Amino acid sequence: MTVHERDVVIVGGGPAGLAAAHRLAAAGLSVTVVDEQAELGGQYFRRPAPEVARVWGDHRPEGGRLVGAVRAAGVECRTGHLVWGVGDDGRTLLVCDPAERPVRLRGRYLIIATGAHERPFPFPGWQLPGVTTPGFAQHLAAADHTPIGERVVLAGSGPFLLPVACSLLDLGVTVAGIAEAGRPYRPSTRALGTVRHPARLRELAGYAARLARARVPLWQNTVVVRADGGDRITSVTLAAATAPTRPVRTVQVDALCVGYGFRPQTDLARMLGCAVRTDPATGDATPELDDSGRSSRDDVYVIGEAAGIGGAPVAEVRGLAAALDILGREGHEPRAGEVRGLAAAGRRLAHFKRLTDALYPAPAELARLLPSALPDAATLCRCEAVSAGEVRGIARTAGRDVNAAKAWTRAGMGPCQGRECGFAVTAVTRVSPADGLPAGVFPSRLPVRPVPVATLLEMAGEGEPA
Amino acid sequence: MRTADVVIVGAGVLGASAASRLARDGHRVVVLERGAPGREGSGTTAGNLHVQAVHTRRPGQAVPLDSARFAPLQRAASDLWETVEDDLGASVELRRSGGFTVAETPEQVQELYDKQAWENAAGIKTEILGGDAARDALPQLGPTVAAATWCPHDGYANPLKVTPAYLDDAVRHGAEVVPFAPVTAIAREGGSWRVRAGAREIETPVVIDVAGPWLHKIAALTGVALDVAPVAIQMHATVRCSSGLPHLVQHIGEGLSVKQVNAGNLLVGGGWPARRLNLDGRSDAGVDSMVGNLALAVRILPFVRRLRLLRAWAGPLAATPDEMPVIGEVPGRPGFLVAGGTYAFTFAPLWAETLRCLVAGAEPPVDVSDLGPDRLMHNLPEKKR
Repeated sequence: MTVHERDVVIVGGGPAGLAAAHRLAAAGLSVTVVDEQAELGGQYFRRPAPEVARVWGDHRPEGGRLVGAVRAAGVECRTGHLVWGVGDDGRTLLVCDPAERPVRLRGRYLIIATGAHERPFPFPGWQLPGVTTPGFAQHLAAADHTPIGERVVLAGSGPFLLPVACSLLDLGVTVAGIAEAGRPYRPSTRALGTVRHPARLRELAGYAARLARARVPLWQNTVVVRADGGDRITSVTLAAATAPTRPVRTVQVDALCVGYGFRPQTDLARMLGCAVRTDPATGDATPELDDSGRSSRDDVYVIGEAAGIGGAPVAEVRGLAAALDILGREGHEPRAGEVRGLAAAGRRLAHFKRLTDALYPAPAELARLLPSALPDAATLCRCEAVSAGEVRGIARTAGRDVNAAKAWTRAGMGPCQGRECGFAVTAVTRVSPADGLPAGVFPSRLPVRPVPVATLLEMAGEGEPA
Repeated sequence: MRTADVVIVGAGVLGASAASRLARDGHRVVVLERGAPGREGSGTTAGNLHVQAVHTRRPGQAVPLDSARFAPLQRAASDLWETVEDDLGASVELRRSGGFTVAETPEQVQELYDKQAWENAAGIKTEILGGDAARDALPQLGPTVAAATWCPHDGYANPLKVTPAYLDDAVRHGAEVVPFAPVTAIAREGGSWRVRAGAREIETPVVIDVAGPWLHKIAALTGVALDVAPVAIQMHATVRCSSGLPHLVQHIGEGLSVKQVNAGNLLVGGGWPARRLNLDGRSDAGVDSMVGNLALAVRILPFVRRLRLLRAWAGPLAATPDEMPVIGEVPGRPGFLVAGGTYAFTFAPLWAETLRCLVAGAEPPVDVSDLGPDRLMHNLPEKKR
């Protein structure tokens, strides 16, 4: 099997990966973007299905323009390609193409732009049909113009709940309410940063105004404590985040979308040997990076949401910063003002991010808060049907080690490889609420995504060691 | 300084089972474990109970093990496993659903007949089936299978349940288990041993070194160099699959074991080497062994081709140069016993009982006089001293 050698290989074709790819290819470097989805764009710039685009248009036309520019710049776009592992002592990405054939990619520089996944937290009934994450509802709305339900409650935490609610309103859905675990929406916060971040704040304020016009209730300091239903969810019960054991409201719904923001997807970066640290505010493993996204491995950059949650504009800036750093190392002269402009944009966005982060409860705080409302009988790991009580029992005897909890209960051993339940298992593994977050996350293991055995067979057939 | 009757170094499956047997004999037992109990080789093993004679080489293994010598040990261990769950009053997902060892070439078929003689001599019931008869019995077997040995006693126990169950039993009988207590010194003073782990020092007449991949390092604390080397091997789990594989499937000539666990996943192993042994953290699984092991699994069980590989992991074991187990008192070190080597999971109940007898000065259930540590002290500087 041949190894495809490129100047730069970028894993992930979202805002960060596309921005980096475009800039690098424009400077003449050979660039490959690998993405497991059928079309570039990532989650934020997710392309609508062609049938949907014909009738309803493109929800984010700037994403379509960026994808077009990347292709026009000569970037090799390997969509539908799954990066499942690392070979040759970390030098080669092991990939599976859409026909499940093995592909080996090697770049003088590697850019990891693997994005983020949502941060669910379980509650009794979270396995019922009709319970999804906000991100899934957004995909369905944007790519397929399909509503997740007719009467929907959105819950969790973070600014993302607002645009999802607006997308649902646009489809004619009744948004029965938004339950936000924190108290971010106070009159005093409206003025926050208006001088320096008009565009981003206008965006949020626009969503808020749209929701107010539609008279969508916004319940703050409120969390989901259970969902009920038979074949499908029929009602959701809410409680105050600060007193989650006392329900305050039950709402009739046919769909419920719950997510507490996003977690950086760092398993590939960790497998490549990039040093990570546990972020005290989130409990997530976050790569140690310099300002350009360069990791502890000199040839590996981590950008976008994988480098830490910041949103699409931050992701694009990080993508460009990594591209400029690589171009500098390759002896290219930067365009006039490009570096300075980028740094200024980065500072502005970082400031905005600090402000918004401060509005919402930190994930580490949620990890302290949410487990108290989770009864022992509730399912914690859906793939393996492991209850919260089982994990708590193990935590008491095996200490706070998430890996012992995984080994002894099977929590996190299923097809999602712990992406769905990892945050919750970590939170529940704490022995008592007085503890801090336990150290450690599920380790990055080969394969980082379930890989078809047929792909491995073809590698064996080629007779070449990986 | 406190005293104990027995100090056991290592809370893997051997340390846990030995602690259980010795505590039941009324000994005051202390188990010192460098990390969390049962998280190294005993937590990463495949959990096979090998009763029929095993294939003789792991991939990359220099010297074949002596299958004929193994057979009576396997028979004795098999008998003991029969009562483990009743004895411990705990479920360890023990399953004796039998297993096939397949052969593909005429030479390998001959090996099946050779090993059947050893099995018969040890009283292990096996039956050799031709390729078609084997496929009738287990339709998932592929066309290259020329013959297979069927043994109704082969089985599985969940390694993540066995060690905790033995430890619970030991504690119920008065043993003390101390996790996160790496042993740093073992000194001979006044006819007894002083074992130090952190600030803790224990005086004891008997030390049992069952530290698995660290076995030689613990022995070295007494000034003995044992020729035991840690190696890391890797395991693979597929996604769950609906097509049931009711039996353990092994290969006589190549490294392969496949079975379906209660959760529905297939576990594919066979002693393939990991990419990297790391005794300070987790050893890494590698791509070469993954590809080789899975390709072999597909050749023997073609339906595996349709599955996805979900997870791979690696774990350490202690390998002796002759690939045979080591058990017994170290010459010149009265009261210092070692036990370990390959297939320790299958042998755990047997080695626990053997250690109990050796401590009591009683006849062990099997003859282990040729398996002592003396043979591992050859050609080492300490021997010359």
